[in-house]
Amino acid sequence: MTSVTPTITERWRSWRGVLGALAAIVLAATAIVLFSGTRNGGRLDVEATTPQGARALAELLRAQGVEVNQVTTFDDAIEQAEGSLLVVARPEFLVDAARLAELAGRPGPRLLIAPTEPVLRALAPGVTARPGSTETVREPGCGLKAAVLAGNALVGGSSFTDATCYGGTVGVVGDATLVGSGSFLTNGRLPENGNAALAMNLAGAHQRVTWFAPRAPLGTPEGGQKSIAELIPANVGWFVWALVVAVLLTALWRGRRLGPVVEERLPVVVRAAETVEGRGRLYRARAARDRAALALREAALARTTPRLGLTATAGENEIVTAVAARTGQDGGRVREILYGGVPAGDAALVALARDLDTIERQVRDS
Amino acid sequence: MALTGRAALLAVAGALVVLAAPAPAVAFWLVLGVIVLAVGVDLALAGSVRALRFERSDDQRVRLGETAEITLLVANPGRRRVRGLLRDAWPPSTRPAPREHALDVPAGERRRVTTTLRPLRRGDFTAAAVTVRALGPLGVAARQGSHQVGGRVRVLPPFLSRRHLPGKLARLRAIEGLNPVQIRGQGTEFDSLREYVVGDDVRSIDWRATARRADVVVRTWRPERDRRVLIVLDTGRTSAGRVGVDPASGDPSGWPRLDWGMDAALLLAALCARAGDRVDFLAYDRAVRAQVSGGGRGDLLPGLVTAMAPLEPELVEADAHGMVAAVLARARRRCLVVVLTDLNATALDEGLLPVLPQLSARHLVLLAAVADPRVAALAAGRDGAAEVFEAAAAERQRVERRQVTARLRRHGVEVVDALPGDLASALADAYLNLKAAGRL
Repeated sequence: MTSVTPTITERWRSWRGVLGALAAIVLAATAIVLFSGTRNGGRLDVEATTPQGARALAELLRAQGVEVNQVTTFDDAIEQAEGSLLVVARPEFLVDAARLAELAGRPGPRLLIAPTEPVLRALAPGVTARPGSTETVREPGCGLKAAVLAGNALVGGSSFTDATCYGGTVGVVGDATLVGSGSFLTNGRLPENGNAALAMNLAGAHQRVTWFAPRAPLGTPEGGQKSIAELIPANVGWFVWALVVAVLLTALWRGRRLGPVVEERLPVVVRAAETVEGRGRLYRARAARDRAALALREAALARTTPRLGLTATAGENEIVTAVAARTGQDGGRVREILYGGVPAGDAALVALARDLDTIERQVRDS
Repeated sequence: MALTGRAALLAVAGALVVLAAPAPAVAFWLVLGVIVLAVGVDLALAGSVRALRFERSDDQRVRLGETAEITLLVANPGRRRVRGLLRDAWPPSTRPAPREHALDVPAGERRRVTTTLRPLRRGDFTAAAVTVRALGPLGVAARQGSHQVGGRVRVLPPFLSRRHLPGKLARLRAIEGLNPVQIRGQGTEFDSLREYVVGDDVRSIDWRATARRADVVVRTWRPERDRRVLIVLDTGRTSAGRVGVDPASGDPSGWPRLDWGMDAALLLAALCARAGDRVDFLAYDRAVRAQVSGGGRGDLLPGLVTAMAPLEPELVEADAHGMVAAVLARARRRCLVVVLTDLNATALDEGLLPVLPQLSARHLVLLAAVADPRVAALAAGRDGAAEVFEAAAAERQRVERRQVTARLRRHGVEVVDALPGDLASALADAYLNLKAAGRL
């Protein structure tokens, strides 16, 4: 009689290897993420080295002596916009009309990449965008110096009123330079055609660049409507966490067995008649009516001949005559049933079985 | 450790508090703290499970179909009361009840816990583990631990055919000429002479005694005693096939041929022992699985059921050569060898038939097999093509069975082929017939 539940020390001893391995894996993963070269980030993020990022352009600009500062909040953007080129890289995240107006109040050149309606209204008043031409390599087709020097480039997206270059997708209106799509600025597309030259010409015109690329929507859309998440009281969030704890405790309560599962070596369960059933199905699958009929006839004869007073050595004629005499059936028919050919179909086989039964019964009862 | 429903209830109540509280974050952490504290207090103050001492009654034997009461003595040498649940785990086939017991052992005291087993099948069963869950004073959390406490139950064959025993013994006495009806009053002068009754063989009339008395007197012969009977049980693959209906549980998937064979062997052994014959038992497939040498007459049956209890069908082809060798090694004098096996044409063709002459040359061989009522039912099927094909297959098997029976009889082997419920009785009758005929 011994306790089979391990003590805390034994449990620690058996689990420490697993826990150690887990800790090592987590540490290694953290180290790899921290020290690896790749930086993830959003589209047109100057830190991002993914094909969608803009690190390459930023590095090129810095090599030319241009100071590139990335900002992600309105406050920083408003503060640094003065005296530098403001590149609005993620206009879709700028939804706070009041802050946009505040930003527009700061004078200075702007480069608007695929601007949305509110951004256009605030930073390039009077310009409207027409949606939707596909991104393709186009010729400049205008007098803008930056475009002419760059040559063919991958542009597209929205086209703007008062914009003349690349089919209306790139243009300068007042302080603002408008670009229909930002694909040609990305790490992936920068080396193609004149993309790099166009990007450098547009963004490198000033000594300082303030790269405004938020990573999440800033502010709420106009009208000041609150999202559902803000309307829910804080109690509910904590209530949900408390419920999670309750569910966890319930799972622990219900999931704990009173003792281990008991194993048992069970005997095989095989019905002795399975071989017979299997053979029957095999007969049927192969349509072995000849063998089936033979077996039925042999069995019927083996049961009938002793009742007729005949021995096992009795011949066919002898048996047929005796059966016909006992049952009163026609001799030819009795011969057909007891010694006839193979039944033509399944129905004939069933009929033969019934006929054999009839003969057997008549012999037994007579 | 283990949690109880109260811990979950506490958490749900805490969640409602968090919902209503003015400072939900604080309330959440407070509730969590209260739960952790309650669990900690319970774990710290619960009685020690590890310190418990267990004692079990001795190994038990029970006939299949009866119940076994397993008693477990729980002693608590610790300083704190142990209150909670106890589970005495046994293999599922023994159907232990109740599954868990309420337990309350004050410090320094002992309590008795009784589990009832209703085994479903024959064999040896070992207790798995005793698990105790000791609740803390708050009933929120419990300590839990398992102990390995020995304990074994041997489930013996049920010996259902013992109901045939009185009838067979009456026939035995008739054969021995000791039937009390035929004995005159108490003052009978001659033990071995009795009055002639209609039906007695006229050749057995003792004319000298008849001349001395008014009545016709016959001389009775006691049948020979102290013959040897060797019962051989085939535990090979054919013995695993299930036949008939399980009489212990009513399971329609049937009872293994092995168990039907054991039932018949027990009746035969009981009868032989009363008839004054010496019974040996051998279970064989590719090796000797069990053997009993009929020593003292009184403890023959207990020895037999004990030897049979742990036998299981082995899923291997039986080795007929080895079996015959084992039989010949054990039976030096001429004896009756009763082989309980299956009349399977292919298995016998390749196994027993070639080596049977060695056995039947020196001994009288009686082969007993259980017939499958399902085959008879299949043979009568006429409902459709599928049934008729199965009927043909069943007839084919019955023909093969008849043929192999005929071949065995040509070898001088007695064959008993009976339905599951009748096998024991038929085998006993075959033995009595041999005894009456003086062929032993």
